[in-house]
Amino acid sequence: MELKRRDFLKLLGVGGATAAISGCTPDAPEKLIPYLIPAEETVPGQATWYATVCRECPAGCGMLVKTMEGRAIKVEGNPLHPVNQGKLCARGQASVQGLYNPDRITQPVKRGTDGSLQSISWKDAEAVLATQISKFKGNGNRIAFVTPLLTGSQDRLVEMWLKAVGGGPRLRYEAVSYESLREANRLAFGAAEIPYYDIERARLIFSFGADFLETWLSPVEFARQFASMRTYRDARIARFAYIGPRLSLTAANSDEWVAVQPGTEVFLALSMIQVILAEDLATGLPQTETQDLHGCVADFTPESMGEKCGISADKIRVLARAFARARPSLAIADGKSSNGTDTCIAINLLNYVVGNVGSTVRFGSNGAAGRVSSYEDFLKLIDEIERGEIAVLLLAGVNPLFSLPDAKRFQDALKKVSLIASFSSFPDETAAVSHLVLPDHTFLESWGDYEPREGVRCLQQPAMMPLYNTKSLGDVLLSVASQVGLQKTLPWENFYSYLRDEWQKIYREQKAQEDFETFWARALQKGGVFQPPPSRAVRLDTKAIKRRYEPPVFAGREDDFTLIPHPSANFYDGRMANRPWLQELPDALTQIVWDSWVDINPRDAERLGINEADLLVLQSPSGRIHVPAHVTGGVRAGTVAVAVGQGHTAFGRYAVGRGANPMPLLQGAPEKISGGLVWVGTRVTVTRSGEKFPLATTLGSDRPNERRIVQTITLGALQQQSEAKPKPELLPMYPEHLHPKHRWGMVIDLNACIGCGACVAACSSENNIAIVGKDEVGKGREMSWIRIERFDEGKTDRPDQHFIPMLCQHCDNAPCEPVCPVYATYHNPEGLNVQVYNRCVGTRYCSNNCPYKVRRFNWFTAKWPEPLNLQLNPDVTVREMGVMEKCSFCVQRIRAGELAAKEADRQVRDGEVVPACAQTCPTSAIVFGDLDDRESEVAKLAKDPRGYHVLEELNTKPAVTYLKKIKPGPVEG
Amino acid sequence: MKWLAGLGLFVLLLLAYEVRVAVSRKASAPVQPIAFNHKIHAGDYHIACEYCHIYARRAAVAGIPSAQRCMGCHKITAAGNSEVQKLRGYWERKEPLQWIRVTSMPDYVYFEHWPHLRSGLTCQTCHGAVETMEQVRKVRTLDMNDCVACHRERQASIDCVICHR
Repeated sequence: MELKRRDFLKLLGVGGATAAISGCTPDAPEKLIPYLIPAEETVPGQATWYATVCRECPAGCGMLVKTMEGRAIKVEGNPLHPVNQGKLCARGQASVQGLYNPDRITQPVKRGTDGSLQSISWKDAEAVLATQISKFKGNGNRIAFVTPLLTGSQDRLVEMWLKAVGGGPRLRYEAVSYESLREANRLAFGAAEIPYYDIERARLIFSFGADFLETWLSPVEFARQFASMRTYRDARIARFAYIGPRLSLTAANSDEWVAVQPGTEVFLALSMIQVILAEDLATGLPQTETQDLHGCVADFTPESMGEKCGISADKIRVLARAFARARPSLAIADGKSSNGTDTCIAINLLNYVVGNVGSTVRFGSNGAAGRVSSYEDFLKLIDEIERGEIAVLLLAGVNPLFSLPDAKRFQDALKKVSLIASFSSFPDETAAVSHLVLPDHTFLESWGDYEPREGVRCLQQPAMMPLYNTKSLGDVLLSVASQVGLQKTLPWENFYSYLRDEWQKIYREQKAQEDFETFWARALQKGGVFQPPPSRAVRLDTKAIKRRYEPPVFAGREDDFTLIPHPSANFYDGRMANRPWLQELPDALTQIVWDSWVDINPRDAERLGINEADLLVLQSPSGRIHVPAHVTGGVRAGTVAVAVGQGHTAFGRYAVGRGANPMPLLQGAPEKISGGLVWVGTRVTVTRSGEKFPLATTLGSDRPNERRIVQTITLGALQQQSEAKPKPELLPMYPEHLHPKHRWGMVIDLNACIGCGACVAACSSENNIAIVGKDEVGKGREMSWIRIERFDEGKTDRPDQHFIPMLCQHCDNAPCEPVCPVYATYHNPEGLNVQVYNRCVGTRYCSNNCPYKVRRFNWFTAKWPEPLNLQLNPDVTVREMGVMEKCSFCVQRIRAGELAAKEADRQVRDGEVVPACAQTCPTSAIVFGDLDDRESEVAKLAKDPRGYHVLEELNTKPAVTYLKKIKPGPVEG
Repeated sequence: MKWLAGLGLFVLLLLAYEVRVAVSRKASAPVQPIAFNHKIHAGDYHIACEYCHIYARRAAVAGIPSAQRCMGCHKITAAGNSEVQKLRGYWERKEPLQWIRVTSMPDYVYFEHWPHLRSGLTCQTCHGAVETMEQVRKVRTLDMNDCVACHRERQASIDCVICHR
């Protein structure tokens, strides 16, 4: 049919009009559903906060959980808690993604004869367990129980229960453990415990492989103390040197990375002691003891040891003198090589000779990490299982099938166990081989307590009702106990009543004035009962010091690469790999997401013809993995490093089939003296597989290339500069913005920022940031509003690595504002660069113009697989496809603060409005407030002599001032 | 005959418009699960708005009364009334009441009740003379134009970020 042009236009007009009209019908009706009986303390739209303790690692940081309408939506640190004092790391922030993980085990399951898991009721599940327990009860230690590090009531209940059923052995298993440290303390000082390290007090720290800003012992506490220690005071700054074969994040924050051969830290320490004693730099030692000790270390001269370690003799002398002269200093060690205990003993002696013991190293606090069973104990358990001695194996909150080097041997042995019962909340590798899974609540849903060290008793309470048909470990144990006739020994109806009974004991100890109920309520409100750690003096056992200090031994060929597997800051020992925020959080040093990689030195890479992202095969005598290469000067030549945490074969959609697990490469024999796992004791052959494995990274360029993004200042220059240099005044082209009430601004201290990424995780949690996945990140489409940028400077082989958190600078002269065709972004009267989502039409011109590249575009509408959507913050719009977004300085918090002040008829106080990033930063590197309030902290810091703006020459006039990182230079003797 | 086609089109468009208005009018005075009559409660008995809508002065939302609030009186009062019996049914079955929302804002609008009450506005300013309504209906459009006009008039802030976060 021939259509005339006019008719066509008419049809178009009618069709368009009809479509327009039909599109204007109102939406489907919304429902309003009030409570039948409202909760008294809940006001809709206002959050209720609960104090609890984070259980994502043994550090035991205090946590406040923000709940809205009965849902936990954000976690923050508890300011009253002595360990973390209001701060949380990225892993703590991601704990809500454990609670709302879409792959959680939602109810008890039993493995059928065909191998599949079938859902059963709690009654049936407990009956299965009770039957087996009855069968083997009192039958000579045939019921084994493996838990993670538990303390307090939970631990005592497990012990009591196991004793009552006549079972054993009981293990407290942690993949990341400190046997060598504990044993070294026992031998040297007669104290088999983890002491309290007073990092804040030290004027100089030497870390021998201890990554204390990432995973070692208590990273949030140490980060806070470290930042305090590194504050520029009295024209000086405390110093830090890292001694180890790998440039970890902790090492990247040091003044000097002393790259020793792996396992030779012991000789470096002994050599330093020799210098200190020879040059009469020791402190507080009786003459006889000095002579005695000098005799022990006389052979470890810098000349003889330097070559062993790969360090010059002069360097050793410089380090030794600096360590002795800094009063006080502190040496810490990890002891992960085959001579780990020897290493820790040497470091103990190093601390001792300069008087640190009793000062920056204090015994008596008995850190919980010292109560973990040894790796050797686990191997003994496997022996017992292989001999058929264990009939029932209970595994609660542990995943040894992932973290054991010889997991295969363990898995084979398990065939001899009649009943393997797991209490895991997630379908991990260990749940995958269990006959019965009795899923525990996550810690956010359950009662408990935890003592990270003496005197700090944290009380854990549920922040919401359990999401699923799960049951707490304590409740299951008590129920099963009564089913097997042990009600008299364990008379409590549930774990909650047992917990309260235990806390009655604490109440009596405290001799408090109030009654128990008031004491209990106060403890719940505060997060526990906190007292300063007890301290006790220890004496050096000189006989123990007189030992044969062993060199490191490695399995594998002499000329192969030494493998350095290490717990990753994102995933710890692998337990956090199912949290999408942590998968998408770029590794601080490599900026790689969603994958594993192996660090390899550029010289080695060139020699073997290896390029970035080449898929390599790492083969050890025990196993083989495929992992892509990352070429970096951050490992010594002759060593390769792989982070632990990826390579899960089960653990849910975010973790499975991703990356590689280096643990099976390790030779599984324990260290003889301490029984701990030898992490650095294997050599691997590295060959190219011929394939490439593209890695997704958020890194733009490795180097700043003449852009002065991260600025540093030497100590000398800082000492001479007393106040900020006056900035050249550029004539403005437009009228100045007026800020009648407030001008919100931020100061970020690069000297304090350690690059940990906690701010990124907190921002994702607060602002409903979408997870886009590996492929989209590869296209540069990551959605994080704040990112940690890393730039290398200096030599390729030993780069200086600098971190800078980059977020929307809320420029006074913003290039993004004038180019928006629909006025969706504008400068508000309080200094914010506001993005109005509903006006945005998605031209993306604003992002094009932004020199900081902080604007993120929603290429797709993000999907939150249930129940992750329950975590979304109702105070922040959830953005759709086609809309630009960026950091808003947490405008919802600013508005909340302003409205609260309005309600109380007063001004907003300094420190009242804290964006999510600033709130969680363990080093308090980010400070936020009103720049126009002369008394505010941010206004004072913005005038600091170290202050500068990034890309200042573009005249964007950012509201974010950065403080230059202080580079004091290498440690001087 | 072309003018006939034009007339037909006009009629069609008019019909479509009428249908739209009728649908939206019905939507703005929806049928509720219980025919709660504000005229009786707020009008004849002079029960204050905030007796039931308890959060209006202290939170973002005003709140719909819980079944417990209703039963406070209706355990005894008007027990014979068929609508009250419906209410008691919900209460005894422990079934939450699903009211149809009359006044709502899109997701990207963050309206808070209490600053508005604090500034001296009455409920009737935006919701109309609810105490005369047997069935609650929307009287103002409460679109952005409506809000901004009032803000301008009363010299409240018209900064976008006040409502859009």
